[in-house]
Amino acid sequence: MTDAVQPTSGLSLDRVAFSRAGRVIIDGVDVTLPRGAFGALVGPNGAGKSTLLHLIASIERAASGGIVFDGAALPTMPRRERARTVAVAEQQSDTELDLSVVDVVMLGRTPHLGAFASASATDAAVVRDALAAVGAAGLAARRFHTLSGGERQRVTLARALAQQPSLLLADEPTNHLDIRSQLSALSLLAELARGGLTVLAALHDLGHAAAYADHVIVLAEGRVVAAGDPATVLTPELVLDVYGVRAAVLRHPLTGRPLLAFAEGSPAAAETSPTLDLESSL
Amino acid sequence: MSATVRVRSLVLSLHPPEATIRRSVVPLVTLAASVALLSGCAATPEPSSTAAASGSGTDTASTGYPLTVDNCGTEVTFTQAPQKVVTIKSTTLETLLALGLGDHVVGSAFTDGPVPDDQADAAAAITSISDFVPGQEATLALEPDLVYAGWESNLTAEGAGDRATLAGLGVNSYVAPSACKEEAYKPDPLTFDDVFSEIEEVGAIFDVSDRAAELVAEQEKDLAAVTKNESGLTALWYSSGTDTPYVGAGIGAPEMMMEAAGLENIAADVHDTWSALGWESIVADDPDVIVLIDATWNTAASKIATLEANPATAELTAVKEKHYVTVPFPAGEAGVRNVDAVSSITDQLETLGL
Amino acid sequence: MTKAGMTTVQQAREAEVVKTSRSLPAAVWAVILSVLLAASIVVAVTIGPAGLTAGDVWASILAHLGFGDPTLSPLRDGIVWQLRMPRVLTAAAVGAGLALAGAIMQAVTRNPLADPYLLGLSSGASVGAVIVLVLGVSIALPFAAFAGALVALGFTLVLAGAAGRITPTRTVLAGLAVSSVFGAVTSLIIFWSATGDSYREILNWLLGSLAGAEWPAVAISVGALLLVGGPLLASARTLDAFAFGDASAAALGVNVDRTRWLLLGGTALLTGAMVSVSGSIGFIGLVLPHAVRLLTGPGHRALLPLSALAGAIFLIWADTAARTLFDPRELPVGIITALVGGPVFAVLILRSRRIS
Repeated sequence: MTDAVQPTSGLSLDRVAFSRAGRVIIDGVDVTLPRGAFGALVGPNGAGKSTLLHLIASIERAASGGIVFDGAALPTMPRRERARTVAVAEQQSDTELDLSVVDVVMLGRTPHLGAFASASATDAAVVRDALAAVGAAGLAARRFHTLSGGERQRVTLARALAQQPSLLLADEPTNHLDIRSQLSALSLLAELARGGLTVLAALHDLGHAAAYADHVIVLAEGRVVAAGDPATVLTPELVLDVYGVRAAVLRHPLTGRPLLAFAEGSPAAAETSPTLDLESSL
Repeated sequence: MSATVRVRSLVLSLHPPEATIRRSVVPLVTLAASVALLSGCAATPEPSSTAAASGSGTDTASTGYPLTVDNCGTEVTFTQAPQKVVTIKSTTLETLLALGLGDHVVGSAFTDGPVPDDQADAAAAITSISDFVPGQEATLALEPDLVYAGWESNLTAEGAGDRATLAGLGVNSYVAPSACKEEAYKPDPLTFDDVFSEIEEVGAIFDVSDRAAELVAEQEKDLAAVTKNESGLTALWYSSGTDTPYVGAGIGAPEMMMEAAGLENIAADVHDTWSALGWESIVADDPDVIVLIDATWNTAASKIATLEANPATAELTAVKEKHYVTVPFPAGEAGVRNVDAVSSITDQLETLGL
Repeated sequence: MTKAGMTTVQQAREAEVVKTSRSLPAAVWAVILSVLLAASIVVAVTIGPAGLTAGDVWASILAHLGFGDPTLSPLRDGIVWQLRMPRVLTAAAVGAGLALAGAIMQAVTRNPLADPYLLGLSSGASVGAVIVLVLGVSIALPFAAFAGALVALGFTLVLAGAAGRITPTRTVLAGLAVSSVFGAVTSLIIFWSATGDSYREILNWLLGSLAGAEWPAVAISVGALLLVGGPLLASARTLDAFAFGDASAAALGVNVDRTRWLLLGGTALLTGAMVSVSGSIGFIGLVLPHAVRLLTGPGHRALLPLSALAGAIFLIWADTAARTLFDPRELPVGIITALVGGPVFAVLILRSRRIS
């Protein structure tokens, strides 16, 4: 049964390509992310992570390839319906306008409201729940521009949740956050995924991807170089290959998930990658 | 003289060709009812003739109403002589006062200076509603049946009211024909015949053609009595301005008066009534005489100060020799004071020993 | 009972926090401004150089509406019904239209300094209008003005874009360049075709004036407000979605490009119609939306209609000042709006510097 549903459930990209100003940004990307999975999109700066998220949300149009979610092609879906299906939490979300936090999260209700319709009690409840879900209920009455970077990040996530999407795309959701907030943001995404929401987050920190994601997609120069289970994908060879950095992959003593440790050095030095033993170094 | 013949297609066709020349303004009267009146006015073009008033060719001197005139391209119909007139600019007020129509004026506006002495008493009784162009409400509040303007630009929505708007409210408007700007109506050049024609037309509108005829006859006599200056002097007609002076040019009232006084206008080749002229070309021409226009807001004395302060103009012959002739601003525009102004100019030249 | 009451109060307070954090709800402001607008029309028509009593003025207006008989002479009645009434109504419609256009442009371009006047639309509209007037082409004046506004807007945006990333400052500078050129073209056309003392006409177009506003002007300005302004009000929620930029708006289901061009086209059409009856009156689109934001915040569902109401009230009184302050002379109303708008513009520049 599960196998039969697989092809039409979740997110699937088929040879997606995109160029900007004659430069190829995304070069034939295939991705499969099961429904309810937390996917991490990793890769060096300029690999095309943000662009790929934009293509999935149809903010920018792919030159070719298929983008399907739960059996429906996203690029051809009516806009408002698409905005009720896919939400994007942007990386650096800011506005010149003097908006309250509630105003900002209420924007997420846009695809659910008609041009003249007032926000209903339901909309207010969704907004309240979204703020509560990101642990920002206490910020409701604050002005958005007075918030710290971490608070803004959470409110931006709440706005995306207020769209009540089935697919959540998050671009660097841990940016600007202190370590505790980073971890709580990531566990929130993981929790949302467990609740049935399909999550795809672009992450800089391989350690975060290893620690929280169900599925890791490694992007380099617009191509997928590896994808799958974190433990399978995040190998020292891949890290060296993609980032040019030496790494050791351990088992996290507390969670059992992969744990990455990095060291600077020439690629040549990596040939003799030392075996690090966390237990013995303690 | 033929230069004064202006083409007014509709109007002219109602008239025998010989009824042109100086009468050319009178054919403004177009209604069929007034054709009879007009056809009698193919009067002699002799300036000395006193048979000048409209209709005086026949034995009637009274105006038949309704009377329609083509005024700068706008048809204006009078069903009776206007009783409540607002005048804008000095020339219009002075024309009415000269015709003894002061009691028809309910308000004057934008006067450029005091009226001549002989009109002072009549003028004292008239309310001045504005030192500048009045707004339309301020004008209409006097409930005029005619707004008589010296310039076309006085009659705009921002001024005393658009002509069409005034007409819609039942208020007639009349612009001094010498100030018409439309190509077919603009006097090019302005002549004393044009000035007299306006007096006659206003006389006809107010049903005082006899008085108008007398006034014109008197002015023609005075003009004929002027002794033209024969010294071959060149002159600048300095109207206003300091950085770039505004001067009398080749086709307007200044040129008309200078020519009558025997002065050669250094700006005669500029095809305009008045025009801005650079100091450089004035210095290059070095006029023998400077005619200074004396306005309350820009006096002759201040103009002399300007001329003497500027090192370039201080070297002009006329400035060094103080060859100044003064003309009051209201007399500098086409109107009943032009003839006096000409004789005053020649008198002043004589006093200066020129 | 007490306990139940407490809970209700608490719930209400909570709901209020979620709904809005402003002092007065937008609906209350809408009522206040509507009443003020009606009162402004009622009072402004009784004010003018002609010194008519309010009773006479209203007897005259009611008589034209079919109630009772006028107490004024036909000419004074004409002052009320042919001059003042259409002028006050045109002022209201033009003020509303320009304020609405400004509020929408600020949202679409994400530029707090956007305004039909500063971005050159008004100058472009003037050129269109003047060309039609001079050539006597049989195109409706508002459409020619619309075309002019659109061309000017295009120039401004292309110029701002060509200079690099489109920033508010670049856009305003580009608008300044474009409006200078279009202003000069207007002056040139009038001088070239001048039959009268053309400077007055030039002033009229460049500074804006409602002196010539009669019933046809009411038809054009009110018609444009209803036909173009009405649909533009429906864009409020879409404009809210632009708060965090184009990508964010697109993610919220907005067709960004189509919306932007439709709304900019709509503001150009609205501006063109207003300029064709009033010349380019400045700063209304800049000042009023910012003032209204102080009252109700930046949410466009409140901002758009309230800016329109406030613009109407503002221009009615600015024009009343223009026709009475220097009685018996009239001032072009654009001088008054610029005297108010210039300092506000300066404050906005200072404030935007502090933000960035």
